[in-house]
Amino acid sequence: MTGINKNNKCRRIRGWLSEAISRHFDPGAVWLQNHITNCPRCQRRLVSYGKVNLAISAIKSQPHKLDLLMCANAQAIGVLKHSLRHAQKAKKLRKIRPEPKLRERFGKYTSSAVNVAACIAIMLLMKIGVFSSMDTFQTQGQKVIKQYYVSRIGDDLADEIFPKDTELPPSANARSVANV
Amino acid sequence: MFGKTVSYGLLWDFAVSEAVSEDQQWILSTMHKHGQELITMLWRILGNEQDVCDAYQDTFLQLAHYEGGQRPEHVKAYIFRTANNVAISMLRRKVADKRRISTAIVTGKHVTSPAKELDSKYLQESLRDCIAQLPEHLRNVITLRDLAELSYAQIGRILGISAATARVYRCKALQILTIWMSKEEEK
Repeated sequence: MTGINKNNKCRRIRGWLSEAISRHFDPGAVWLQNHITNCPRCQRRLVSYGKVNLAISAIKSQPHKLDLLMCANAQAIGVLKHSLRHAQKAKKLRKIRPEPKLRERFGKYTSSAVNVAACIAIMLLMKIGVFSSMDTFQTQGQKVIKQYYVSRIGDDLADEIFPKDTELPPSANARSVANV
Repeated sequence: MFGKTVSYGLLWDFAVSEAVSEDQQWILSTMHKHGQELITMLWRILGNEQDVCDAYQDTFLQLAHYEGGQRPEHVKAYIFRTANNVAISMLRRKVADKRRISTAIVTGKHVTSPAKELDSKYLQESLRDCIAQLPEHLRNVITLRDLAELSYAQIGRILGISAATARVYRCKALQILTIWMSKEEEK
């Protein structure tokens, strides 16, 4: 029974190893590592997946000559129709060189842009947070003082000192509406 | 009289060729738009500059003669699939040639050493050999995903399958490649 369970687990993990190697989920997960350390079959598989991954990376990292695109274009245009061969676009294509993609070109600025965005977000949050706290503080303070005056000198005099048409800050209004 | 006919004929030819070229300008636009991506993919599949140029030329020649010069509905899908097929055919021919030569030379026995295992060129060559032997549907996905670096959604559109299916095919292809590459080592 235990053997069957182990085999099932093995089979499941075999399917996940490729995903793990592709970094779709963390290959360092404890349960995965626990299994692999005790299973020689999965150890072999992990090594093999690593090797395939390494080979793919090696292939990707091999650069080609800068003029390869130019040469390939020239050769391909050479077998096209006469009229196409002499088109203005064809002349341009014969001299074209590979250009880095927009994402690659601006890739180096990504971290700086993210930092700036984070700073702006923090500043906005601070601003909103600070001002709303100040509003609340002011309203609550006014209420406490009014209560004090009401208890000491009565409603009429307190209303004179703190007239009812005095505009409360927007946050205070929102709060009072919510309370109602 | 004859001279006039010839000159009218030339004029007619010129007019027709101009019309055709007007129609087929899209080939040059396609070359401009997708050329770089195609070259990258072909270079990664073939690993040889002359082969890349030949495969690229074949691809655009096939595109120019597609149904009598018609524009395919999905040009990108067409050129990527064609380039892939052309490159794999070339790779298979190369692998077959290499095997024939290695069997002809008796002394050229396959010896695996730790140094060779780490040899990047050896790894690349064996991976290319294995990719060439994969079934077409798995091979297409692995080349488009890992060598051309297209997204699963793009691969799905090119091959006419869903992105999820492409993901499953890649997983399957990786499993097979793993088994084959470890077997190759044991040889």
